[in-house]
Amino acid sequence: MTVAAGVGYVLIALGPALSLFASVIAKKPFLILTLLSSTLFWLISLIILAGAWRAFLPVKSTELWPYSILILTSVGFQEGIRIGFWRLFKKMEDMLNAFADRVSKPRLFLTDKMQLALAGGLGHGLAHAVFFCLSLLTPAFGPATFYVDKCPSIPFFLISAIIALGFVIIHTFSMVIAFNGYTEGKRKDQIFVPFAHLIAALITLINLVPGGCNIGLPLLCIMAGTTLYYNWQLVWRRLTEHQTTRSSD
Amino acid sequence: MPPPDDPPSTTTAATKTSIIDSLGVEIVGVMSPVSICMLLVVLILTSLSSPSTTSSTSPPPVTAATLIYVESDSDSPSHKLLGAVLDAAAFVALIAAATFVLVLLYYYNFTSFLKNYLRFSVFFVLFSMGGSIMASLLQHFSIPLDAPTSFILLFNFAILGVLSVFSPAVPILLRQSYMVSVAVIVAVWFARLPEWTTWVLLIALALYDLAAVLCPHGPLRILVELASSRDEELPALVYEARPADSSHPVSPPASTPVASLGSVEMQPVSEASNSNSSSVDEEERSPLVSSPPVVRENLSNFNHEQVRESNNSNHAVVEMETGESETLPLVEREGFRSSSNSDSEFEMFDSTRGIRLGLGDFVFYSVLVGRAAMYDLMTVYACYLAIISGLGCTLILLSVFRHALPALPISITLGVIFYFLTRLLMEPFVVGASTNLVMF
Repeated sequence: MTVAAGVGYVLIALGPALSLFASVIAKKPFLILTLLSSTLFWLISLIILAGAWRAFLPVKSTELWPYSILILTSVGFQEGIRIGFWRLFKKMEDMLNAFADRVSKPRLFLTDKMQLALAGGLGHGLAHAVFFCLSLLTPAFGPATFYVDKCPSIPFFLISAIIALGFVIIHTFSMVIAFNGYTEGKRKDQIFVPFAHLIAALITLINLVPGGCNIGLPLLCIMAGTTLYYNWQLVWRRLTEHQTTRSSD
Repeated sequence: MPPPDDPPSTTTAATKTSIIDSLGVEIVGVMSPVSICMLLVVLILTSLSSPSTTSSTSPPPVTAATLIYVESDSDSPSHKLLGAVLDAAAFVALIAAATFVLVLLYYYNFTSFLKNYLRFSVFFVLFSMGGSIMASLLQHFSIPLDAPTSFILLFNFAILGVLSVFSPAVPILLRQSYMVSVAVIVAVWFARLPEWTTWVLLIALALYDLAAVLCPHGPLRILVELASSRDEELPALVYEARPADSSHPVSPPASTPVASLGSVEMQPVSEASNSNSSSVDEEERSPLVSSPPVVRENLSNFNHEQVRESNNSNHAVVEMETGESETLPLVEREGFRSSSNSDSEFEMFDSTRGIRLGLGDFVFYSVLVGRAAMYDLMTVYACYLAIISGLGCTLILLSVFRHALPALPISITLGVIFYFLTRLLMEPFVVGASTNLVMF
């Protein structure tokens, strides 16, 4: 539906991500590099998943169970990759700290580590938005629009843009939560992230039911909001603790 | 015993700077023009290739890359592959011959001839090939611009490009923009080649680049050594990733932590010989490969960095039948401001370290991404990520090895692999899931 609509859909999916990028990440080149490498990671994990599932495609869209297995395996694999990503992050942190000692500059601050986690999460979210939403948006720049059979009330592009927005938020902030959880060793945070991801992915299964997207979309947005709120509480807590410990000595 | 370099002054609590603030500036400084070039090429190609102009109606242009075999849709895959390999071999042979001619000319000191030839070729690319792209864009978008005005605008654009190519007085941003535009125009033109030929050509060029830069008798390596022995810059088209403002103090070790951990031992030695300029000059004339990186912070006189000039800029002039493009190994430029150097007054003002990337690399990265754009946006993004990560790897290797490296092989290999993986594996998976609104 014309270039304006196409650009609008792109901005719905990527608006918060772009503003996060412009305000936090673009200022520090190292964060840009972190973002690019985490996007690459997500892409590689997606390619591996696709390779594993290639033999079973195409999946019939009328049945629920093949898709649920698909989602379970995909989410499980990606959460496993997240742990691997965290190990790499620890190694990089050690290297950066050693480098900082060598040039006699201060070591990584807590805010630095959180910004790195944010950049990593944003990379994942961007990759999701591009591969699941933006790559299918090319027809939206043309003169017509498209409706999926199961969801005749909302154009397909709008649904995928809103779902992509939800997932961008979930991916970005669950990386911050996960890194904090692994660093502090708190079980609650560590469990929250895969849980949230899995629930969000399962919510999209509701879209397979005719008319289900009217329920699925709001639920997904609620899930994204929950992740955002949890992350907010966690970061607030950590920063105030950090301030008090630093000001006390 | 030379005095050690002073550590940077300690920062106050109010202006806490962290190390990740300035790490990786050079890498991003090279990656952004590459990204911009790729973006422009993708935009131009997708807007110009409307469904009305299919490949079957218009014959592919007769170029040096289609001398032997011109691909048509009716041939069998094996026939296409064989033809593409022959085409690529002919093209690489042509490029190698042109590079050897360049080496000969440079050896016999025809430097001004080379510079003028390059100026002419830049003018030709900007005016003629850029003009045809502009004409098709004007036609496609029905922009109301009359012929004389567009001719004048195009002419001005081309002349300014010619002026900015080799003149050090032109602002660096203008020169960088013109380099990127030349690369965009050449890449758009190249991307019109038939599909199999493009892929085989890219792989063949990556292999050629690897051989030409790293083999002892490769033409590009000979060029490097010639240029360093004469201590002057080669006349060639190269993008120099110098930041526009050089006022922020950057810590002495190199940009990447990997490089700094690997080569930081080299730093104090070279920094220590700061004051003794004559011995440093001798050190400069020493073999190119072993010259250590010198990026020092001059806290006393200037706000920006001084870098040592050892001219290991190496380029290859690669000739197409209509214009020129450079396949250039990736070189880290190290500049030194010595009082004996005659053009040192320029070095005073543009003194930060600049990584140089040849225009040919820009062109072939964009050709790969442009060809991926002709299939789907998903492949575009995957190839973009592959190329950028290959470029990052090459830059890290550059800071480890400290001599000229070919920039094409890693990126092109990764790009081709990711293109075919995405096209064959990922696309059915992701499209099948997302059109049913199942996402994770």
